[in-house]
Amino acid sequence: MRTRKLYIPIAEATTGMVLAESVKDSYRLTYLPSGLTLSEENLHQLMANHAEFICILAPDERSDAAVADDTAAATQRVRDIFKGADLTQPMTAALFQQVLAYRSA
Amino acid sequence: MDIPLTREGVIASSDQLPVFPRLVTQILATLEDPDASLNVLAHYIEHDPVITARVLSLANRAATHRPISSPVSDVFTAISLIGLSQVRQTALMASLAEFLNTVAPVAKRHYFWEHSVVAGVGCVELAPYATRPANVDAALIAGLLHDIGQLWLARFKGDAFRRACSDSQLFNVGIEVSERAIFGVDHAQIGAWLAINWGLSENIVSAIAGHHAPDTLADEPLVAVVHVAEVLSNALDITGNAESRVATVSEPCCAMLGLDWGEDSQQLFGRIEARSRHALGFLQ
Repeated sequence: MRTRKLYIPIAEATTGMVLAESVKDSYRLTYLPSGLTLSEENLHQLMANHAEFICILAPDERSDAAVADDTAAATQRVRDIFKGADLTQPMTAALFQQVLAYRSA
Repeated sequence: MDIPLTREGVIASSDQLPVFPRLVTQILATLEDPDASLNVLAHYIEHDPVITARVLSLANRAATHRPISSPVSDVFTAISLIGLSQVRQTALMASLAEFLNTVAPVAKRHYFWEHSVVAGVGCVELAPYATRPANVDAALIAGLLHDIGQLWLARFKGDAFRRACSDSQLFNVGIEVSERAIFGVDHAQIGAWLAINWGLSENIVSAIAGHHAPDTLADEPLVAVVHVAEVLSNALDITGNAESRVATVSEPCCAMLGLDWGEDSQQLFGRIEARSRHALGFLQ
């Protein structure tokens, strides 16, 4: 099944979710590795470390056509937001590219 | 210039605004003394039933995943469960969000509120990036209040402000440009005057004043944080507002935050989006 990376607030975390990125504590030490399927105990660990969000691999059940439509709409929306932007400026252009990539994913 | 505004005129009419939340200045005063802040913070929060309810509600959501889940009914337990910094930020956010809601005219309330919350969350995420220390709570306050000058304009100069908004769209220029043409000053300057009047710290005042023209102030970390957070709140379109626009992101501000917008930006975007959705959810 196709998946996509999603950042979610910790309040939405449930058992069975798969981590797309490792979770680190305040000392930047990993305590839950990427690829882990969350158990009840892992949820307790997240709470104990005051985690506020996690990045998961969410099932993507959209058809190819739906994915293409969503990507096209997201791309157009980002272009509208940056319509008046000065894209000759390297930083603004780089930001535009990254937002485009983020919304098209 | 049709309707020139002065600092004296802005401050005089600010008397008609709701009282600026005392909790914000009280929390700001505790930031320099982290050892004393636990008891003091709990004491301040407990004196405000609305804020206490918000903090306990957040803690009880977190408690869902506790092995023993009796309801959290006091601020100290909430602090032990979700952490001091999150309780402080929740109190600041709830307090200022309520204030912004009462200041904003009904027609603009939703937009201002959501935009301010997303910018505030962005500031919390970006403050640790600063190459010189930037206090996270001060960054949150500056982010939440960065557009307070627009609320003043919408409330006291409604017709002229609407004209500034439509000129901005019509001529494809920033709202601050249209405001200066009509009022002689922009919302960033008006917001800074209000922040001074409320006794907020100099770095917060600078951050509000400089969020649209940050290059000359970019060596002040909070200015860079608020400018970039404001740009990202529009760029990421988290609230889906039709007015979201990006004109530029300041290169000196990006340098202050060590940001080059490489592929690792995706994580920053994701964190801001997740935390914003969380904040907008619990503040509603």
